[in-house]
Amino acid sequence: MKGDSDPQTSDRVDKRTQPNRRQFLTAAGATGALALTAGCSSMGGGSGSDTLKMGVLEDQSGNFALTGIQKYHAQKLAVEEINAEGGINGQEIEMIAPDPQSDNQRYQELARRLINRDNVDVLFGGFASSSREAIRPIVDENQQLYFYTNQYEGGVCDTYTWCTGAVPEQQISTTLEFLTDEFGDNFYTIAADYNFGQITAAWYRKVANEIGANVMEEEFIPLDVSQFGSTINRIQEADPDFLVTLLVGSNHASFYNQKNASGLEVPMNTTINMAQGYEHLRFDPPALANMYVGVNYMQEIPTEQNRDFVDRFYERWPDADYVGQMAQNSYFTTYLYKQAVEKAGTTDQDEVLKVLDEEPISVEAPEGTVTTDPETHHVTHQIRLARADESHEITFRNQQAVEPYWLRETPYPGCDLTQTTGASEDEETTQYQPQGV
Amino acid sequence: MAGETTTSVDRSTSDGMLGRLRKALEGPNTLGQGRPFWLGFTVLVALLLVYPMFRSSYYVSNTAYLLVSAFLGLSLCIVWGYTGIFSFGQVAFYGIAGYTFGIVSINVTGPAGTMAGLLVGIAVSGAFAFLVGYFMFYGGVSDVYVAIITLAVTLVLNTFMGQTAGEEWAVGAARLGGFNGMTEIPSLALGVGDAAVEITDLAFYYFVVGALLLTYLGLRVLVNSDIGYVMVGIRENQDRTELFGYDTQKTKLGVFTFGGVLAGFGGVVYASWGNYIDPSVFGLTFAALPIIWVATGGRKWLSGAIVGTFAVTFISQKLSVFGGQYSLVILGALLLFVILILPEGFVPQLAKKLPALLDRTGGGDS
Amino acid sequence: MASILPQVLNLFLQFIDSFGFLVLSAIGLAIIFGMMGVINLAHGEFITVGAYGTALSFHAGLPLPVAMLVGVALTTVFGLILEFTIIRRLYGRLLDSMVATWGISLIMIQGLRIVFGSSLPSIGTPLGSVQYGSFSYSTYRLLLAGASLVLLGVLYWVFTSTDFGTRARATIQNEEMSRALGTDTNRMYLLTFGIGSALAGLTGALYAPTMTIVPGMGSTFLVEAFVTVVVGGASVLVGTSGAGLLLGFINAVFSNLFGTFAGRMALLVTTILVIRALPRGITGLLEDVRGET
Repeated sequence: MKGDSDPQTSDRVDKRTQPNRRQFLTAAGATGALALTAGCSSMGGGSGSDTLKMGVLEDQSGNFALTGIQKYHAQKLAVEEINAEGGINGQEIEMIAPDPQSDNQRYQELARRLINRDNVDVLFGGFASSSREAIRPIVDENQQLYFYTNQYEGGVCDTYTWCTGAVPEQQISTTLEFLTDEFGDNFYTIAADYNFGQITAAWYRKVANEIGANVMEEEFIPLDVSQFGSTINRIQEADPDFLVTLLVGSNHASFYNQKNASGLEVPMNTTINMAQGYEHLRFDPPALANMYVGVNYMQEIPTEQNRDFVDRFYERWPDADYVGQMAQNSYFTTYLYKQAVEKAGTTDQDEVLKVLDEEPISVEAPEGTVTTDPETHHVTHQIRLARADESHEITFRNQQAVEPYWLRETPYPGCDLTQTTGASEDEETTQYQPQGV
Repeated sequence: MAGETTTSVDRSTSDGMLGRLRKALEGPNTLGQGRPFWLGFTVLVALLLVYPMFRSSYYVSNTAYLLVSAFLGLSLCIVWGYTGIFSFGQVAFYGIAGYTFGIVSINVTGPAGTMAGLLVGIAVSGAFAFLVGYFMFYGGVSDVYVAIITLAVTLVLNTFMGQTAGEEWAVGAARLGGFNGMTEIPSLALGVGDAAVEITDLAFYYFVVGALLLTYLGLRVLVNSDIGYVMVGIRENQDRTELFGYDTQKTKLGVFTFGGVLAGFGGVVYASWGNYIDPSVFGLTFAALPIIWVATGGRKWLSGAIVGTFAVTFISQKLSVFGGQYSLVILGALLLFVILILPEGFVPQLAKKLPALLDRTGGGDS
Repeated sequence: MASILPQVLNLFLQFIDSFGFLVLSAIGLAIIFGMMGVINLAHGEFITVGAYGTALSFHAGLPLPVAMLVGVALTTVFGLILEFTIIRRLYGRLLDSMVATWGISLIMIQGLRIVFGSSLPSIGTPLGSVQYGSFSYSTYRLLLAGASLVLLGVLYWVFTSTDFGTRARATIQNEEMSRALGTDTNRMYLLTFGIGSALAGLTGALYAPTMTIVPGMGSTFLVEAFVTVVVGGASVLVGTSGAGLLLGFINAVFSNLFGTFAGRMALLVTTILVIRALPRGITGLLEDVRGET
C-alpha cells in the first residue's frame, strides 16, 4: 500500500549527508521570529480602558439555539438602550459574545477566555444547568461576578453567582394549590430524565406533601426520546386529575402533538414549556389546550410596561419568533447590573458584589418589579398563573410577588451569602437539593 | 517507492547510545527521520518550553488544554490508524477515567488523593477497555461492527450517567451529578504535603507538554518495534498476519487496552483542568471528534494525530469566537475537504512537500 | 379476563408502533449500507430534509399527502446531487464515508438552522383517534405502522420481481461479475442512493405530523436506524424486518414495564449482545439456518 512507506525517498537523504545549514537556519529562524512577534503584542491583558466589558455566553448554534438566540438578542437590546443613554457611569458597554454551541466544553474554554484573556467585568450566560455547573468552578476560581439568568431547578448558593431566573418554590407552590382546588388532588408527573427534571419533580412531591395532594406516578424520560406511545398509555391508565409535564428540548416537545393525536384530554401544568419554547405558537391548537404554567414572564402579558418592551424587541429584531421568559430575565438583569455598578461607583467586581449583598435592589422589568434577595443571590419575581385555552390564547391570573425563600430556610439549606461577601472569605459554592422527599 | 528502513537511516553516526536510541525511534511506521528532522524537532521542543515567557497565562493554559486532546487523538491513532480497529469508543475510556479521578480525589483529600486518582483512573479505563476488547475481539467482531459496539457502549454510558442526578448516586462523598456533571473535582497535585505542586496554569502547561513529549517518543518506539509491525500487519490484512503465526487477537486486545489507558490519561488531565466532568463526554458529538481530528491530520501517523488534533481543536475554538453561526458549517466543510482532497490527512502531504520546499528555498546543495 | 384485553392491546400497539419506527428509521440506511457499503452518518439529516420539505409545502398551502410527496421528491434530488458530487468518490472507503457524511451532517443541521430558524411551525396530526376500553390511540400512528409493512412489501416485490431488483442484488453479491455481465454499476449506485434517500425522505414526511420540526430532529432516528441495520445484517428486507421485530418487541416490553429509560437501555444492550453472538446479524443467522436444512 502506498501510504506505508517513508515519504522521504532514499536519494534525497543520500545527497545530503549533513543538514544543509542554510535550510536549517532559515527554518529555525523563521519559526523563532514568528513566535516572538506573535507573543510580544499580547502580553498580559488589562483593560483600564473606558469601556465596560460584558462577557455573554449564549448558545447561537446547537441544540439550545432556540432559546439562546432569544437571550442574546434581549441582552443586546438592553446593552444598546443603555449605551444610547450614556452607558453605565459614563462608560460604554462592550458586549463580547462568542458562541458556546450548546457544548459544555466550549463553555469552559470560552469562560476562561472571557475571564482570563478579555478580563470581562461581568459574565452572563448559560442555558442548561450543566453549562452553568461547567463554568462555576472557573468563575469561583477567578472570583468573577457571574449572572445566570435562566429558570432552573434551584439550590445554587454561590458567593460569586447571582441566579435571576425563577426557582421551583416560586413557580410551584402557588400554582399547585390552585390546580388541586380546581381539578382534584391526584396528579401524574412526566419529566426529563436528568437533574432539572428529577429535582423539579422532587419539588412537586415536596409541595404535594405540604398541601395534601397526591403524586400518582412519576415517569422520567431520557432527553433523546421523541416517541411517547407507552407514556401516553400509562397516563390514560392512571387517569389523573391533571398532568405535570417537565419536558425539555425539541425531542420532548413532540409529546404535545402525540398526546393530542391520541385523544388524551387532561389539564396540564409545567414550569418551563410555553414560556420559553413557545410551544403554543409552534403547535396547532388544541395540543397545548388547558396548559397552566406558573411563570414570571410570557410575551403575552398585557401590562403596558410589557407591551412597550415587546414592541421595542420586535422593532430591533423583526425576524424573531418569540421573546420568552429567559430572554426577559437577561434583559432586566442587565439593568440590574447597571444599577449595582452605579451604586458602587465602580466596575470593580468585589465592590459590585458588596453592593449587591448590602441591601435589596429593585428594577422595573417588563414582568413588573423585581427585587434582589442578598441572602440567597436570587430575586423576587412577579409570578402569574398563565393558561392556554383551546385556541392557545393566553390568559393570566393570580399575580403575586414570590420570594426565593427556600434557600434561606434553616437549618437546611441555611444559605446566607451576606456573610461571605467579597473575595475568598469562607466562600460558598454549593448547589442544594430538597432533602428527604 | 524505494525508501525502506535500513537504507535511509544515517549510518554515519556511531553505534553508541544515541545511535541505538535513534534506531529505536525511527522506522517506516513514523514520519520524519534523519538528522534534519531531529534537529527541527529539538527546535520545536525548545520553542514549546520557552513559549510561556512570551505569552500571557491565558494563552499558555489554553494551548495546554488543546494539547490534552492529543492524548485522546493518539489513543485513536494507535488503535485505528496503526491497528485498523475503528473504535468510536475512545471517549468512553476518556470519560470513565475522568469520572474515576473525580470520585477518588474527592473522597481522598490532598495531593495523595489526586495522585491515587490519576493511577486508579487510568487503571479503571484500561480495565474497561480490556473487557470491551475481549468481548469484541475474542468474539470475532470486526470492522464496522467494532464501531457500532463501541458507539453503543458509549451511548449506554451517556444515557445512564445522564440520569444519576439524585443524592443516592454518589460514591462516598463524590456525587455523580447526572446531567449537571460532577463538580468540585480538585486539580491534580504532585508531591507530598506542603511541597506538592498543584498542576494548574504554568505547571499544567509543562506537565502536559512533558507528558505529551514522553508519550510521543514512547509511541514512536512502540510502533517501530516488532509489535508495531504486527499492528500494521493486522491493519493491512489480519488473516495473512494470522497465517504468519502471529496471535492477532492478543495483539489487538493489548493495543486496545493500551489505547484505553492513553485515552484515560487524557480524561484525568481534562477533569483536573476544568475541575468538572459531565456525561457530554459520552455523547455522539464528542465521540465523533477524535475521528475527525485524526482523519484530518493523518490517522496512520503519530505526528498526524497530534498535529491534526491541535489544528482542528484550535480552528474550531477560533471559529466559535469569530464564526458565529457559521462555525459548525465551516467545520463540516473542512472535514469534507480533507476527506475528498487529502484522504490520508494533511500531515503526510506536508511531509512529502516539505523537503522539496526547503530544497528550493535553500538553493540546493551538493 | 376482560380487563387484561386492553392491556394486551396496549402492548401490541406499542409493539407495532416501535416496529414501525425502527423499520422506517432504518430502511433508507439499510439500502445504502447494505447495497453500497456506505455508512451514511447524515441519514438523520436526510430524514430532516423530508420533514422540512413536507412542512414547508404544507404551510404554503398544499394538502398534506401532496406536501409529503414534495418532501420525498426534495430529499431524492438532494440525495442524487450528493451522490454525484461526493459519495461516489467514497465507495469501498467505508470509514472515510463515515467521516465525510458526518461533515455533511454538520453542514446540513446548522445550515437549516441558519436558513429556516430554530423551529418551523408544526403540522397537526391528522385522523383523530380510536377508542378501546378506557384508552385511545392515534389513528395516524396505526397508519404509520401499516406504512412500514406496506413499504417492506413493495421493496420485496421490487427486489425479486423487477429487472432492477435482480441487477441490484447481483451488484451487492459481486460487483465485478455483475459489471462483466453488463450492469452499469455506476448507474446502479446512483439509483440505489436515490432510492435510499427517497425512503429516508419518506420517513421524514410520514413522521413530520407527529414531531417538532427542528434542525436537529434527525438525531432521534439515527441511533435506532443504526442499531436496526446492524442487528439486521446485510439483507435489506429480511434483516430490517427481523431486527424491527426483535428490537421492537424488546423496546415495547421494557418501556411498558419499566419506563422509557429502561426501553432505551434494553435496546442498546440487546444490540451489543446480538452483534457479539451473531456477527453477521439476523441475516447471517437465517442464512446459517437455511444452509443447515
